[in-house]
Amino acid sequence: MIQLFNVSKRYNDSVAVSGATFEVAKGEFVFLTGPSGAGKTTLLRMMLRQELPTTGQILIDKRDVGALPVSKVPELRRSIGVVFQDFKLIQRKTALDNVAYVLNVAGVPRAQQRKKAYEALRSVGLNHKLSANPGALSGGEQQRVAIARAVVNQPALLLADEPTGNLDPDLAVEIMRLFREINARGTTVLVATHDRDLIERMQRRTVILERGHVVAGAESP
Amino acid sequence: MNVLWHRLRFFAGDAWDELRHSPGVNLLAAGTLIAVLFGAGLLALVLSNIENFVAELRDDVRIEIYLAEDITTGQRNVLIRELRSIDGVTQVDRIDKSEALERYKSWAGEMATLAEDLEANPLPESLEVFLATGPDAQALGSRIRAQFSEKAGVEQARFDRSLLGRIEALLNIARLGGGALGLLILCAVVFVMASVLRLAVYARRDEIEIMLLVGATPLFVRGPFLVAGVVQGLISSLTALALVETTRWGVRGYAGQASPALLDLVIEHSLPGRFIFAIIAVGLLVSCTAAWFAVRQTRGLSNIA
Repeated sequence: MIQLFNVSKRYNDSVAVSGATFEVAKGEFVFLTGPSGAGKTTLLRMMLRQELPTTGQILIDKRDVGALPVSKVPELRRSIGVVFQDFKLIQRKTALDNVAYVLNVAGVPRAQQRKKAYEALRSVGLNHKLSANPGALSGGEQQRVAIARAVVNQPALLLADEPTGNLDPDLAVEIMRLFREINARGTTVLVATHDRDLIERMQRRTVILERGHVVAGAESP
Repeated sequence: MNVLWHRLRFFAGDAWDELRHSPGVNLLAAGTLIAVLFGAGLLALVLSNIENFVAELRDDVRIEIYLAEDITTGQRNVLIRELRSIDGVTQVDRIDKSEALERYKSWAGEMATLAEDLEANPLPESLEVFLATGPDAQALGSRIRAQFSEKAGVEQARFDRSLLGRIEALLNIARLGGGALGLLILCAVVFVMASVLRLAVYARRDEIEIMLLVGATPLFVRGPFLVAGVVQGLISSLTALALVETTRWGVRGYAGQASPALLDLVIEHSLPGRFIFAIIAVGLLVSCTAAWFAVRQTRGLSNIA
């Protein structure tokens, strides 16, 4: 599903990622970990084409992300579910509208949008908060809305960047349980986190980054 | 088609949200546009009324033949008969001295009282000769004037179209000058509105970033802003037109008694349909162009490397 070949990213004099090569197979659940500044977020940003690699190649579902024309980037992003540490919800939209927005962007008819968005929110246990705005939700609830939004379009790949960074440990476990369920339905999941306890608890393959270099876990089992 | 309809409905809903959430910025932009369109509307109102006046003058091709004090009935009848026999002359009217005085009084307004102090009516009797309008009218009028100036019983024959020519020349200058100035002002308004609307776009930059991250195309993100621009342009131009008409009625009601001839010249008729259409079209164009320039910067926020 994801293949990185000798990917590097430089910003002027500093190196964020250096020669990263690893793969994530279809249906796998993989952690990407390392200390702050190791290059985890930069790698995810390159997978979403928020950044271009300085050298190397990133393939997602056999598509060369770096070589995609700009006009094809929205299509790439619609095929990937994304969850962020700061939730990135649209504050003036309700939970239901935040989730439905992704379907709207994908051109799903309005009646189906509401139904699918409702189902997605129900799957994360938020069917009682449909009309609440993000500001009226707790951190854990906001992250569950973000997860519902990420999976409502049934993407083949889910990327999560420090999804539990703003949550207390119990909520973090709850979020990971949701990721595990999503993965069990066939979605490939790549979670970037520096939370060692969480990684040990989940017992999944872990790619370790240090100063931009992949130092362990590069090979799929 | 169905998808397009859904998109437009979504854009309209989001545009309404945008207008509701940034009332200050949007009111400022709309106010700027209304002020400029109101000014343009007033100018168009005055120009269109002067155009009407000039058109009436152009259609009113007439020669005035002033008769001598001592003209005999026989001489007058010969003149009328000769004039009526000319091809292109549609009507010959006799204006006697008393009718000439009545006309003067109705034209002069408050100044008419001056005529009451006179012992005798000084105005001459005249013949008004109307010509068929058309390309030959000018030459025919000049020929009749020359021919009848020398006739017995004629004091003076007048066929002066130079005033009409001067008014038309001034009108053309006003049209060109107004058009050029209007274009400059509209460019400035686009710039001002785009700067103001850019604040609204900037205020939503986080939201725009999220939209683009979940796969919205730049056009999908810009759509609601452009629809808001259309709505704003339409409302602004209709408001400006309503203000122009209200001003016309107000000015006629307030100052109508003081100077009827001048006011009738410039504000007698409402704006004609073509100017109403033009002002609505300009309002939409300016507003949409400003919105387009304002949202062009979403490219910078697009997070697409």
